Amino acid sequence: MSAVLEARAIGMSFRNGDELTQVLKGVDLTLGPGELAALLGASGSGKSTLLSIVGLLLRPTAGTIAIAGECVDGMSDAQRASFRNQRLGFIFQFHHLLPDFTATENVAFPAAAPAGGISVAMRQRARELLARVGLSDRMDFPASRLSGGQKQRVAIARALMNNPELVLADEPTGSLDRVAADQVLDLMREINREEKATFLICTHDEHVAARCTRRISLSDGRIESVISASAGDGGS
Amino acid sequence: MFAFTVARRYLFSNPSQTALLIVGVALGVTAFVFITALIQGLALRLTDDVTANSAHVSLEPVTRVARVLPSPDADVESVAIVSTFQRRQIRAWAPTVDLLRSQPSVSAISPQISGSAFLVKGEAVAPVAVTAIDPAGLDAISPISTEIVSGDANLGADGILIGVRLAENLGLSAGQPVLFRTDRGVDRLLIVRGIFQTGLQSLDERVAYLSIETARPLFLLPEGVTNIEVKLVDPARARDVAAFLADATGLRATSWQEKNANLEGALVAQAQTGTLIQIFSLISVLIGIASALSLSANRRRGEIGIMRAFGVSKRFIGGVFVLQGLLIGVVGAGIGCISGYALCAWLATLSKPDGTMALPIAPAEGGYVTVFALTTLGAVLASVIPARSAAGLDPLEAIQQ
Repeated sequence: MSAVLEARAIGMSFRNGDELTQVLKGVDLTLGPGELAALLGASGSGKSTLLSIVGLLLRPTAGTIAIAGECVDGMSDAQRASFRNQRLGFIFQFHHLLPDFTATENVAFPAAAPAGGISVAMRQRARELLARVGLSDRMDFPASRLSGGQKQRVAIARALMNNPELVLADEPTGSLDRVAADQVLDLMREINREEKATFLICTHDEHVAARCTRRISLSDGRIESVISASAGDGGS
Repeated sequence: MFAFTVARRYLFSNPSQTALLIVGVALGVTAFVFITALIQGLALRLTDDVTANSAHVSLEPVTRVARVLPSPDADVESVAIVSTFQRRQIRAWAPTVDLLRSQPSVSAISPQISGSAFLVKGEAVAPVAVTAIDPAGLDAISPISTEIVSGDANLGADGILIGVRLAENLGLSAGQPVLFRTDRGVDRLLIVRGIFQTGLQSLDERVAYLSIETARPLFLLPEGVTNIEVKLVDPARARDVAAFLADATGLRATSWQEKNANLEGALVAQAQTGTLIQIFSLISVLIGIASALSLSANRRRGEIGIMRAFGVSKRFIGGVFVLQGLLIGVVGAGIGCISGYALCAWLATLSKPDGTMALPIAPAEGGYVTVFALTTLGAVLASVIPARSAAGLDPLEAIQQ
């Protein structure tokens, strides 16, 4: 089975005046279909930078990346934007839903913007996803009237709208209380199992990492360890 | 169009701010409409005042200069001298009148004999500018018959109409005889048929009207006329029409603007001042739109960042802000045009104690199409800066803030 993500020798350095800071130093990372991987590391370890590079939001200064078998290195900004739209899903700590739109419209947004409007099929898909994340009774609520946990569920549904092969989550439970965070994590695991979408979750929270099938630890810009949980592990 | 939906929702998300923005645009447009209607109204009133009692185009013979005649004797030069009065004659005036009648831009024609004369009443003598016209077309250029305050406007074969000031100066009243002496040295006793009062001192004190047939023997002009006065449907076109008539007839054609060059200069200066005020009011409107949309783009950085992360194109995000500018421009300009018209229409109803308008405002001349188009276009252009700023946001930076 081919890898969903294949990153080779990823390097990233930033220049700050005369000083060159190397954030990533030759990172190799491969994720297979249906994996639920946690990317762990202390603050400044480079995990968010790696996630941004894998999410095509940042260009690495070294290395190559292939997603779902397609090399993305030579793509233009517009091609990368289109690729992100069609093949990747994002969940951020701050959901940034459009407050003036309903939950359904927010979920459908990634498909609707390039298409020029929300079609019946898109609306149907968005409603199915909202039902999937347990928000059947909030579909037509404006996003501004949802609780924090509900908003993050909508964000998860939105990330899945275009059937992405790879979902990237950056501290997805960082702004939630423990109960809501557990609910969101359970939901992500469930979707991961049922939709077979590959998840890469960037976190510094051991509690989150414990529920994933693989723990990838970054330290000082390098992968320190990769620990795979056996089937059925990953917390419960 | 999904970008339009997003733009509309963005505007509706903060109704009070959007309403303030639209009110600001509408006020700017109202000011523009008011200034335009006032300046146009003033220009129309001044033009009306100047042209109401005078021709829009005057046709006269081309002034000829004395020329040296060739002589077989090289030592002798002869100068051709033509009678001064003969020079001022349009002998074949009927074809010119026919040509004028065929012009849709011409509303009235008055072939005239103009000249100088004296009115003598006892020992009192007063110089007058004589306008001899076809009695049927007495009001063609200046509405004299409606200004008669004594007697009537029926000139007849020996009648004369004079102004109220002239009548006072000579002690004349309607029905009295007066000796008429032309600059050709011809005398005739005429009857004052009517006395008019136009309110214009130059007319009421210096002008006398008589029938063209009465004037012919007095001015020794059995066939021709000295000038043809023309009124136009649109006085503003007088300069163009004069140029056309000069070409077509070979006569000297003078527009009312040429005769009143100082007034035209004042109107141009007034229009330029108005234009400056209009430009500044539009600029303030556009700065308001640009700053409000820039604030909106800044407030929505997170949402925009997420959209960019999801691969929503820069064009879409830029389009959302340009469409907001367009909506604000269209709605604000529309409301401004309506309120501007309403304000001007109300001001036009206000009058001074003498019954004249308090403000010379022309509600129909508010430049509505211009200001609507300029505001809408300007609003779109003003939204380009925030649109580019929003579209160019780095998604990572925007999301992490």
